[in-house]
Amino acid sequence: MNASIDRPHMPADADDFNLLRRFEPVLKFTRGEKFYPTDIETYVRESSLWVHAPDGRDLLLVPQGELNLEKLVEPRPAPFGAVHYLRFIEPLSLSEAALALAEQSRLNAESQNTFHAGLGRLARGGLFPRIVDALFSASFLLRGRVPAALAAAAEIAYHRIQQENPRYSYYGRVVRHNGWIVLQYWYFYCYNSWRSGFNGVNDHEADWELVSIYLYQQGDQLIPEWLAYASHDFKGDDLRRRWDDTRQLDLMDGHPVVYVGAGSHASYFRSGEYMAEVNLDLPGWVRRGFAVFSKFWVEVLGQQPVDPFRIPFVDYARGDGFSIGAGQAAAWSPVLIDDTTPWVSQYRGLWGLFARDPISGENAPAGPMYNRDGSPRGAWYDPLGFAGLDKVPPPPKALTLLEENCDKLTARQTELDWLIPKKAGELQAIGIQLKGMEGNPHLAKQYAALEKVKDALGAEVRALRREFSENAALLDGLTKRLERLLQGVQDDPQAHIRHLATPVVATQMRFERAAQTWAAISLSLLLFTIVALMIFTPAYLGSGLAIATILFLVVESILRGAFVKTVTVITTLLAVLSAVILLFHFWYWILIALLLAIAIFLMAQRLRELE
Amino acid sequence: MFRLKPARKKRPIAVTLIAWAIFILFLVRLYQAIEPLFNARIFETGLSGPLFDGLHLTPLGSALLTSTVYSLLSLSGIVVLVGFLRMKRWSWIVLMAWTAISLMVSLLGYFYGRPNYIVMASDTFIALALNQADVQRIFRIRTDPGERLD
Repeated sequence: MNASIDRPHMPADADDFNLLRRFEPVLKFTRGEKFYPTDIETYVRESSLWVHAPDGRDLLLVPQGELNLEKLVEPRPAPFGAVHYLRFIEPLSLSEAALALAEQSRLNAESQNTFHAGLGRLARGGLFPRIVDALFSASFLLRGRVPAALAAAAEIAYHRIQQENPRYSYYGRVVRHNGWIVLQYWYFYCYNSWRSGFNGVNDHEADWELVSIYLYQQGDQLIPEWLAYASHDFKGDDLRRRWDDTRQLDLMDGHPVVYVGAGSHASYFRSGEYMAEVNLDLPGWVRRGFAVFSKFWVEVLGQQPVDPFRIPFVDYARGDGFSIGAGQAAAWSPVLIDDTTPWVSQYRGLWGLFARDPISGENAPAGPMYNRDGSPRGAWYDPLGFAGLDKVPPPPKALTLLEENCDKLTARQTELDWLIPKKAGELQAIGIQLKGMEGNPHLAKQYAALEKVKDALGAEVRALRREFSENAALLDGLTKRLERLLQGVQDDPQAHIRHLATPVVATQMRFERAAQTWAAISLSLLLFTIVALMIFTPAYLGSGLAIATILFLVVESILRGAFVKTVTVITTLLAVLSAVILLFHFWYWILIALLLAIAIFLMAQRLRELE
Repeated sequence: MFRLKPARKKRPIAVTLIAWAIFILFLVRLYQAIEPLFNARIFETGLSGPLFDGLHLTPLGSALLTSTVYSLLSLSGIVVLVGFLRMKRWSWIVLMAWTAISLMVSLLGYFYGRPNYIVMASDTFIALALNQADVQRIFRIRTDPGERLD
């Protein structure tokens, strides 16, 4: 149990503030990031408070310049379905929006903090995901969305705030659950610019992100054991890494390093580019139909499984930009929070614009303690369950629990050792009695009653033997684990992870520039071709479209180095369609051919038996 | 000195069946190449008229073009057949692409009211047979995990 001795530690009686400071993470951003963890007090002062009424109206409650944290938490009764929200940026007129966009361009040119996507996300997927992506983009016409100028205005406002009072804040919380000491670092960003700045999934005002560190007490010291970073698509155990997992965790002078996703602000353990795939929200019957076809495609036709309804997005967590934390370009301004902090517990509204997006991607989040609907947030009230740690005891307690379990099982095995022969003996005695009763019709009643007792006792003996056998296997496992722990041998630090977030390998595509250009223009080119066909050869629209689509796919496959795969998929799809047509027209003759084939096969089998 | 013959790859039954299908298609295409020439009486009178009338083909020109296209198709079929029987990787790829084009043409013909069910059935059979795991392995299109591509 000395594996942890080389880890940074703190005296068990250290106060919460110092505890947070000792382990505060270093945040490394991607070059081009525009928003950093900021102080909520300034943000609230710069914002206005609104309520979205159930009848669809938006009412201003406190205008910009008059709001502060005290006013934010004032009780405001509202009808069911009402949503309280802040607005960091007031509604913009057309000229204000144009000005904001121009000012943003000027700021970017001055700062030279620009982002280069490298191999774009569209070039990383095929033509079909690109079509689905276009549909996803088109869905913004129907869904509520944050306007593009809002991102520009937020960037300008944040830039101004930072100029006046440069501060990088985190909101730290210390909570003690089941022997674990949980340090929660909550980061607030004025704006999530993943879509507008980095071709990502969504944009929204305000962003809350969480990093948790789990410590345990050994003697009079607190020692870090686990870390959990909030990230897309992952939950429970998959969020967690062990402090000594050097393959997964970077440490700088005892501080964990967090690689922050550009614009999304998701947290990653390793630097790199992560593919975040978004499932298109399709009707159930489409999904079920596709599942049936997919099964046929894979199991009958032997093709690779595909899911065309997943759109690839890239979360850039390169860590090549600005850094905040111990020994970095900027230092933290920590603020301690807990359940009694008024703005944490008493404001259940959204921290930014309510964009009326039914799937919530563009709506601002609520605070650390609540979900968007005002219900309590799991990460706040159950920080252990959030990272799948609710079932894991702290290391010193694990040893005691293991020893207790072993002792309990050993005692039970000793008891069973005595009980099983006793019960088995009783069963044999009953068996002898039953044998003696056989052939004596006058003992039929007693025989039947005794048989019932025999059956019950037989079941009991079988159950005891099974228990003994299972206990032996369990005891063996527990004892070996106990021995390993006593020798200081630790489990594989990644044994608990089922889905490991792994950065994508930076692949080189052939004709990379051409591939990227093709990825950017192919869909529009296809639409232009359709328009040309509609105007010049409307009679051949269907065939022209089919040929054009196949030509596009072939060009795509050559650029992606997947010609064989693409041709196979196209041919197989065409063959399936042809087979359906042939089946439709010649089902009667196909049935006859099948019956003939079965008849010949059976005859051959039977004749072979005669030889 | 006695020398062992190198082990030859066993040809799966599907490969033989595909080869037969290609051969039948070759015969169909050959017939389709000769038929227009017979109809235009080229074997009797030779190229006795103009091939173009302005920017358009004359019936003779059209017959010659059709015959040339089908001749090329049947000739390419023979080349593919030779490669296929020698189990060359390129022949599998060419045949798959060729089948895709042929299926496309057949389907367009079907939707425009000119179905050719024999070609459609042959192409469907070839496409599905080419997809067989055994066939793909023997042509080194599909490899088992850990298997090295030559």
